[in-house]
Amino acid sequence: MNQKSANLRVNGVSKQFGSFTAVDNLSFEVSAGRIFGFLGPNGAGKTTTIRMIVGITIPDSGSVELFGDSVSPDIQDRIGYLPEERGLYKKMKIQDQLRYFAALKGIRQHEADKRIDYWLDRMNLSEWKKKKTTDLSKGMSQKLQFASTMLHDPDLIVLDEPFSGLDPVNVEFMKSVIAEVKSKEKTIIFSTHLMETAEKLCDDILLINKARKVISGSLREIKGSYGRNIASIRCTGGEEILEPGELVERVVEHADELEVFLRDGARGQELLERLVGAGALISKFEMVEASLNDIFIDAVNA
Amino acid sequence: MDKFLAVLRREYKKVVFKWAFVITTFLMPLIASLFVLVPMLIFSIEGDATRIAVADRNGLVETRVKQNLSPEKIAERAREAARESLKNVTATQSESIERSSKQIGGQFTFVDYDASGKSDEEIQNELKAMVAKKQIEAFLIVPDNISGKGVRFDFYSRKAGDFIVNSTIQDAINDAVRAQRLANANISEEKLKEINKGVSFSSIQLSETGESKGSDGGPVAAFVVAMLIYIVLAIYGQAIMSAIVEEKETRISEILFSSARPFELMMGKLVGVGLAGLTQLAIWISSLAAIVSVGAASAYMNEMQITIPEISILAVVYFFVFFILGYFIYATIYALIGSMVTSMQEGSQFAFPPIMLLLIGLYFCFAVVRDPNSTFAFWVSIAPFFAPIVMPVRILSELPPFWQIALAAVLNLITILGLTWAASRVYRVGMLMYGKRATIPEVWKWIRKV
Repeated sequence: MNQKSANLRVNGVSKQFGSFTAVDNLSFEVSAGRIFGFLGPNGAGKTTTIRMIVGITIPDSGSVELFGDSVSPDIQDRIGYLPEERGLYKKMKIQDQLRYFAALKGIRQHEADKRIDYWLDRMNLSEWKKKKTTDLSKGMSQKLQFASTMLHDPDLIVLDEPFSGLDPVNVEFMKSVIAEVKSKEKTIIFSTHLMETAEKLCDDILLINKARKVISGSLREIKGSYGRNIASIRCTGGEEILEPGELVERVVEHADELEVFLRDGARGQELLERLVGAGALISKFEMVEASLNDIFIDAVNA
Repeated sequence: MDKFLAVLRREYKKVVFKWAFVITTFLMPLIASLFVLVPMLIFSIEGDATRIAVADRNGLVETRVKQNLSPEKIAERAREAARESLKNVTATQSESIERSSKQIGGQFTFVDYDASGKSDEEIQNELKAMVAKKQIEAFLIVPDNISGKGVRFDFYSRKAGDFIVNSTIQDAINDAVRAQRLANANISEEKLKEINKGVSFSSIQLSETGESKGSDGGPVAAFVVAMLIYIVLAIYGQAIMSAIVEEKETRISEILFSSARPFELMMGKLVGVGLAGLTQLAIWISSLAAIVSVGAASAYMNEMQITIPEISILAVVYFFVFFILGYFIYATIYALIGSMVTSMQEGSQFAFPPIMLLLIGLYFCFAVVRDPNSTFAFWVSIAPFFAPIVMPVRILSELPPFWQIALAAVLNLITILGLTWAASRVYRVGMLMYGKRATIPEVWKWIRKV
């Protein structure tokens, strides 16, 4: 059953809490073997949508179709859900805890023990098997939580902010684990508000804001459609040229370089010529793609 | 079903494989047995006899006081007191201390002292000298005149703080003076003995069909049972609540809800913790039975007449039935509260109403023991929320007709179904609500919503 390719179809789901609309007529599809980036600012309705996908809450209208079926307890056994708010029993031994979560997904203890050993080893947590959660650092419990999500070898994996609380080394480690999981033709939904991470990891993107879909499609398409009208510059002098005007729309200052957004139709070449003409000393001039962050801010402000 | 069992197994293990559980389970019977065994041990210790001199110039009461302090008399009084303390379990602290001192009694040997013709001062000086020479430990000065008001006996003792000796002597003097006064009123010694003979009072319980059976132990057993049910329901109700609040606080509920039906999760928890409670109760009940039979056996050896409460197998079965009903009623209420609140502190504020219900039930038991067949006893023993604690007490006091027991069980079963239905709805929504406590109108809305 695990070999079957996973597919998720969300058909026009809405969810209200009192007079507040958390999700408004949202539709999208996720295919197997891809990492689906589910993006949006805090409070956009990401967690509510995810809860409807994993069957914790029921949509007011619309439907969620998983592997060609509506969400049921049997289907739930094929989902691995890593919630944003991490939860582990504080006073329970790690092994017992993982056994319990596996049992709740319908895995028998004998089989569970093998998988627990595999995943603890994979996460470099083997020596903690008999310890309690309270003994773990934040990063370690994060990895443990991920292991518990993967124990029953789910076909759909929903990761809500999986990197929060991890140091850069562990972030890279987790990315490699996620890539490995993806290569097994699993469907991965990756929810985050950190655009840089999404940009490096996701194949497809869905951006929602205020309960509604804003942008969706493959990362390549989206970035392509936003064009290359941004110049990344490192220079001294020529400040007056970079003032917003007929050529420059706005400038975002980063630590050691400037991101210059050109007006529609303006050419990067012209900006470079003017800078040189003004006697600016240029150490870097590069036309770049809009970052997901830019697209995100643009779309949210539109 | 597998998931339900997984939850059940975890909850059961979590409670039972804990030091606190092991300690309370085995310590309680130990402490309880100390309460039974220690007084018996103390009673069996023969302390040094108090040497005492009585200065009675006119020979008014000396003989009688000595008689009253004879070992036989003291033992008789002790038996009387022991019986009394078993009958009356609602005694105050001071009453029960007094009674146990009577049970313990004291031993006295009398040192002869001739006081005739000596003045008060001479007597005091001579006797104090004897105390100093360690010939006696205490002496009693009898006044010249024991009729009329304001008669005062002075008792001097090295051990003035020994309340056991003091109370024994006081009783002995009172009895002696009363007897002497009657004698002075020209009532002959024979007549006096007849008058003084106490009546023995023995209450015999009649069953519905008019058969008599021993009853002295009945009320005691009923109260012990009521207390046990109260304690276990309160402890395990709170345990349910804290388990639920933990899952909510740590956000585990989110993972649980994405794995199993909320109803399975809640019921697994209730049944698992309930089985742990039953385990503890079973251990307590069997050790209680052991203690009672050991206590009764040694009481028998001490020639005390204590009736062992007659508890039938059927009563034990009923007890467990009503305990289970009570457990589900109160555990569901606590589960509902647990899913409403956001922290344990908030939870303990809301834990007050169910505790009140339990306490009221406990107080109803007093009335029910006094008159198990009253209309009041009938109503409170079938009423939802109260029946689980009152009905077992009523059954132990006097077995009511079967239809009343069945009615109580059915009414409370219906209550459980209603509560579970409501609690599972509140649980489903409340467990995913973080940050703020649910208000009563909100909870009401969750319950009604389909």
